[in-house]
Amino acid sequence: MSEKLEQTFVQLLQENQNIIHKICRLYTNGEDAHKDLFQEITIQLWKAFPKFRGDSKFSTWAYRVALNTAITLYRKTKRSISTVEFEGRQHFLNDVEYDYEEEEQLKLMYKAVYQLNDIEKALIFMYLEDKDYQEISETLGISEVNARVKMNRIKGKLKKILNPLEA
Amino acid sequence: MKELDLLKKDWQKEGNTFEQVSTNDIYVMIHKKSSSLVKWILIVSILEFLILNGISIFISSKEYDAFVIAHPIIKTLEIINYVVIFGFIILFYKNYKSISTLNSAKDLIKKILKTRKVVTYYIFWNIIFGGLTGTYVGLQGFNEGMKDANTNADVLDTSNIMVVLVFGLFLMGFIWCFYKLVYGTFLSRLSKNYNELKKIDL
Repeated sequence: MSEKLEQTFVQLLQENQNIIHKICRLYTNGEDAHKDLFQEITIQLWKAFPKFRGDSKFSTWAYRVALNTAITLYRKTKRSISTVEFEGRQHFLNDVEYDYEEEEQLKLMYKAVYQLNDIEKALIFMYLEDKDYQEISETLGISEVNARVKMNRIKGKLKKILNPLEA
Repeated sequence: MKELDLLKKDWQKEGNTFEQVSTNDIYVMIHKKSSSLVKWILIVSILEFLILNGISIFISSKEYDAFVIAHPIIKTLEIINYVVIFGFIILFYKNYKSISTLNSAKDLIKKILKTRKVVTYYIFWNIIFGGLTGTYVGLQGFNEGMKDANTNADVLDTSNIMVVLVFGLFLMGFIWCFYKLVYGTFLSRLSKNYNELKKIDL
């Protein structure tokens, strides 16, 4: 593949790398696994790049390849999530808005999301990224109605994980 | 859901907390080899192909060649086998060509599982075909080898046949277990995800 193509790709990926980081954060546990999946997604994106026409945003295009890699191609076995991982999440709230109760809630929420399965994580990911149901349905290959129904079920599931007694 | 809104808010502003990968790192990465599942399935199936066919090269000998001439049916079976294997190779190639990360997740998993199914049929073919020919050759060879030493009467009795058959079955079972072990780990998560997607879409 030509050098120019390579340059364009590296530039685009560098600018949009947070998408991949976010997927890695959702699907892996620990720094090594994160880096590993990041690399695999990068390779898959690069392999698919010649087919990227530029008629959609790079980020939109990257969602599909990156999620597919996380759901189907990544072969590392997942370790169970440790509580230590969540202690480090504190810095996600910056100092100005530091709110102990909110932070505690967020921590629990992240923990709950980790307990979802691969497909549910993909749906939640797209929801958090503010994607509409049409894009969710196209990416996963399910109908829009079903994506909506499933999303509601996931919300219910998260609620149940957060408040096991109420549900 | 209040907590989910909170998470969404946090999620969208957290971008800068990740350790950023430099353009240089990305250059290095795209020249590395993929370690994806599909690639491993492909590698393992090629290895299987080489090993299964390698065994037949190792066991071929002058005695065996003479044996084949005396039993022309083996030659016919070999030709059938090669035709079938050639068909499998075409199917493998077509399947791998069709796998692309640009498909929807469900399509992609479906294609990978279909590829896997072809590999399964291929293994089945090898186990059954190999097992049956092996047993046939074993029985005939045993029979003829013993004939020379004794009278011209058939020496194969039921207990001899049973021993060869049990051994053959044991071997086939062993290959099957080995293969299950190799692929089982690769594919269990994939099947789980596929079933999940299918469940959503019912």
